[in-house]
Amino acid sequence: MRISTNTMYQSGINKITSLQAEQVKLQQQISTGRRIGTPSDDPVASAHALELSYAQGINAKFADTRKTAQLKLNTLESSLTSVTNVLTSAQSSLVGAGNATYTDQERAFIGSELNGSLEMLIGLANTKDASGNYLYSGYQTSTQPFSASTSTAPNGSITTTSATYMGDSNQQSLQVESNRLMAVSVSGDSVFQANGSNDVFTAMGDIVTLLNTPITDDASRTAFNTGLASALTKLQSATDNVLNVRASIGNKLNEIDSLDLSGSDRDLQYSKSLSDLQDLDYASALSDLSKNQTIMEAAQKSFISTTSLSLFKLI
Amino acid sequence: MSGILSIGKSALNAAQVGLTVTGHNIANVNTPGYSRQTVVQAAAQAQSYGFGFIGQGAEVSSVSRVYNDILVGQVVSSQSTSASADTYSTQLSTIDNMLSDASAGINPALNGFFSGVQDLSSNPSDIPTRQSMLSNAQSLVNRLQSTSNRLNEIRDGINTQLSSSTGLVNVYARQIASLNDTIEKTVSAGGDQPNDLLDQRDQIVLELSKLVKTTVVPQGQGSYNIYVGNGLPLVVGASTMSLTTTGSPTDPTRLEVAYQSNGKTTVLSANSLPGGTIGGLLQFRSESLDPAQNQIGQIAVVLASDFNTQHKLGIDLNGNAGGDLFNIPAPVVNTNSNNTGNATVSSVISDAHAITSSDYHLKFDGTNYTITRQSDNKILSNAGLPQTIDGIDFDISSGAMAAGDEFIIRPTHNAATTLSLAITDPRKLAMGTTTAPGDNSNGLLLASLQSQSTINSSSGAGTSYSAAFSQLVNSVGNKTRELKVTAAAEAQVLEQNTAAVQSLSGVNLDEEATNLIRYQQAYQAAGKMMQIASQLFDTLLQLGQ
Repeated sequence: MRISTNTMYQSGINKITSLQAEQVKLQQQISTGRRIGTPSDDPVASAHALELSYAQGINAKFADTRKTAQLKLNTLESSLTSVTNVLTSAQSSLVGAGNATYTDQERAFIGSELNGSLEMLIGLANTKDASGNYLYSGYQTSTQPFSASTSTAPNGSITTTSATYMGDSNQQSLQVESNRLMAVSVSGDSVFQANGSNDVFTAMGDIVTLLNTPITDDASRTAFNTGLASALTKLQSATDNVLNVRASIGNKLNEIDSLDLSGSDRDLQYSKSLSDLQDLDYASALSDLSKNQTIMEAAQKSFISTTSLSLFKLI
Repeated sequence: MSGILSIGKSALNAAQVGLTVTGHNIANVNTPGYSRQTVVQAAAQAQSYGFGFIGQGAEVSSVSRVYNDILVGQVVSSQSTSASADTYSTQLSTIDNMLSDASAGINPALNGFFSGVQDLSSNPSDIPTRQSMLSNAQSLVNRLQSTSNRLNEIRDGINTQLSSSTGLVNVYARQIASLNDTIEKTVSAGGDQPNDLLDQRDQIVLELSKLVKTTVVPQGQGSYNIYVGNGLPLVVGASTMSLTTTGSPTDPTRLEVAYQSNGKTTVLSANSLPGGTIGGLLQFRSESLDPAQNQIGQIAVVLASDFNTQHKLGIDLNGNAGGDLFNIPAPVVNTNSNNTGNATVSSVISDAHAITSSDYHLKFDGTNYTITRQSDNKILSNAGLPQTIDGIDFDISSGAMAAGDEFIIRPTHNAATTLSLAITDPRKLAMGTTTAPGDNSNGLLLASLQSQSTINSSSGAGTSYSAAFSQLVNSVGNKTRELKVTAAAEAQVLEQNTAAVQSLSGVNLDEEATNLIRYQQAYQAAGKMMQIASQLFDTLLQLGQ
C-alpha cells in the first residue's frame, strides 16, 4: 500500500496523542485514588455510589437523633429514680406511722415529713430539661405540668393536699430509625396520676391530713388505720407505676443501643460498598501506567526512526 | 538529423515539465487538501517513411491530479458524522463533569435540608434550631439554582456557537460559489482541469462538512452544487443561499438555525439539520440539555410541593396554620410570536405527583386544542379548554386563539432556577399539629418525606428525590459514555477514510525524490542525445572542408 508522507506523520502523532490521553487518565486515577472520575466512566457505579452515600448520610442522621433520644430518656430515667426514692422513703415512714404507741404529736411529725416528700415529688414532677422545657407536660413544654393546692391544718400548719395536671397527654416522639418512631417523653398524668385512677399527690395529701388529725376515740383510730392502709396500697401502686415507666424507658435505652449497633454496622457496610465501587486498584493502575509508558517510549522511538528515513538524505 | 534534435528537444521539454511538477508536489507536501499531480506523457505522432514509422519524440498531453471522487465523498460524509458525535460528546461531557463532583450535586444539599428538619423535630420550639433549618432550606434552594444556572450558561454558549458556525457556513458557501465560477470559466476556455483550484474547493467542502452535513452534486463544466442537512440547497453554481440564527418563535432567548432563500427566512427544526458541529449542538440541546434541566426542575417542584402541602397541615409557633415554605414557580408559557390570536394561556401545576419532566406543545386548529407531550410526542387531548393533563391545568386566561396559534408550556424548565423560600421568620415553621410548643408531630411527618417515593407517583411506584437525581446522573453518564464510544469510532472511520484518500492522493517524499532522479536522468539523456546530434552535424560539416 502506498503511504503518503503526511499519513506517516499523522498516524504517528495520533498514536502518541491517544497514549498521552491514556497516561493522563491513569495519573488522575492514581493521584485521586478514585477509579471513577466522571459518571461516564462507570454510570451504574456512579449512580449507585450516589445512592449509597446519600443512604449513609441518612443513617448518620438517625444515629444523631438516637443520641438526642438517649439524652432525653436518660434525663427522664434519672428524674424518675429520684421519684422512686422519694416514694420508697415515704412508704417506710408510713409503715412506721402505724405504730399504736405513737402520740398525736409523733404522728404530726411524720405528717410534716411526708408533706415534705409530697412537695419534693411535685418539684420533681415539674423538672425542666437542659433546654428549659418541662419534662412531664406532654407537648405543653413551656407550661409547668403540676400546680399544687394547699390547705391549712387544724394545728395551723400549711400542707399540700393535691396537684392539678396542666399539661396534655401527648408523648414527644423521635424518628430513631427509618421505620421506628420512638416516644421519648412521658406525660405527667400517666406517671403520677396513673391517668386519673391513682393520684399519688392526692393520696399523699390525704394521709398527711389524716396524720395531722388527732386520734380521740375508737372511731377516729379506725378511720386512721383504714386511711393508712389505703394510703400504703396507693403509694405501692404508684411506685409500681413509676417502676413500670422506668422499665419501659430502660427497654427503649436498650433498643437504642442495639439500633446504634446495627446502625454502625450498616455504616461500615456502606463505606465498604462505596470503596468497592469507587476506589482504585492501585496495583493494577500502577502496572497499567508502567505498561503504557513502555508502549509510549516504543511509539516515540519508532516514529523517530521511521520519519528519519528519507531518500533526500542520500541524493 | 534535425529529427534527432527535435526529438531531443521534446524529451528535454517533457523532463523539464516532469521536474516542475515533481517540484510542485514537493512544495505542497503539507498543503491541506492537496492531491499529488502527475505528468501524462505520450509518444508524439510518428511519421511514415515508406519503410515504416519513425517516432517523433515525446509530448506532454496533460498534468492531472491523482483523485478519486468516491473516496473523497466518503471523507466528507464521515467528517460531518464525526464532527457531530464529537461536538455532542464534548458538550455532554461538561454536564458529566459538573455532576461528577460528589459534594456539588443535589444530594448533599437534600441531606442537609432533611437533617435540619430532624434536628428541629428533636427540639421544635428552639429558635436557633429553627433558624438553622431555614438556612439549610436556603442552601438547598441555592444548590438547585446554581445547578440549573450552570445549564443555562451552557445553553447560552450554544447560542454563540450556533451564530459563529452559521456565519462560517455562509463564508464557505460564498468561497465555493466563487471557485465554481472560476473553475467553470477556466474549463470552458481551455478544456484543461485547473487542478489546484479543484483541490481548494474540495478542501472548503471538507471544512463545510465539519459544520453541517454536506452533499455534493457535481455539474457539467466542473461546478459543484452543495446541499446541506436534509437536502437544503446552499450553493447552486455561482449563487448561494445562506443559514442564519434567529430567536425561536416560542422563546426569543433560544437561538434556532434558519434558512434564507429568496428573501424568505424559515426556521429549521433540530432534526432537519443533522451532522456537523451545528447538528451536534442542536441534538445535544434538545436531547440532553433540556431534559436534564427539566428533570432537576421536576425534583424541585415535587419536593417543594410535598413540603408545602405537609407544612400547611401544621401549626406554627405563633399558633397560626403553616403557610408555604417554598415559592414554586408557575410553568413557563411561551407564546409563538407568529400567533394571530390574542389568547393568553395560563398553566398551573395542580398535582405535582403527576407531572413529568416534559414540555408541552399546545396548538389550536380552529376547532380543536391539541396538546402534545414533547418527550414522546403523545397527543393528550383534543377537546376544548380547560384541560388537566399530567397534573397540569391548561386554560385560556384572556383573549381567544386564532387557528394555527401555538404555545409551548414548560412546567419544570425554569423551576430550579427560580425556586425561592417563602418563609424568613423562624417562628413561622409549623412543626406541630397543635399550638403546644413541644409538639413535633408535623416535623416528624415533614422529615419522613425524605424517604418517600413521590416523584411520578401517580403513574406507578414513584421515585424519591435523591433517587431521581441519581437517575439523572446515571442517564447523563450512560449517554456520555455511549457518545464517547461513538465519537471515537467515527473518528476512527474518518481517519481510515482520510488515510485512503491520502494513500491515493497524498504526496510521498521518497516517491518524489525518485521522480526527481528519474526526470533529472531523462533530462541528462536528452541533453546527451542533442550533443550527439550536434556532433553528427559537425561530422557532416567537416566533410565539406
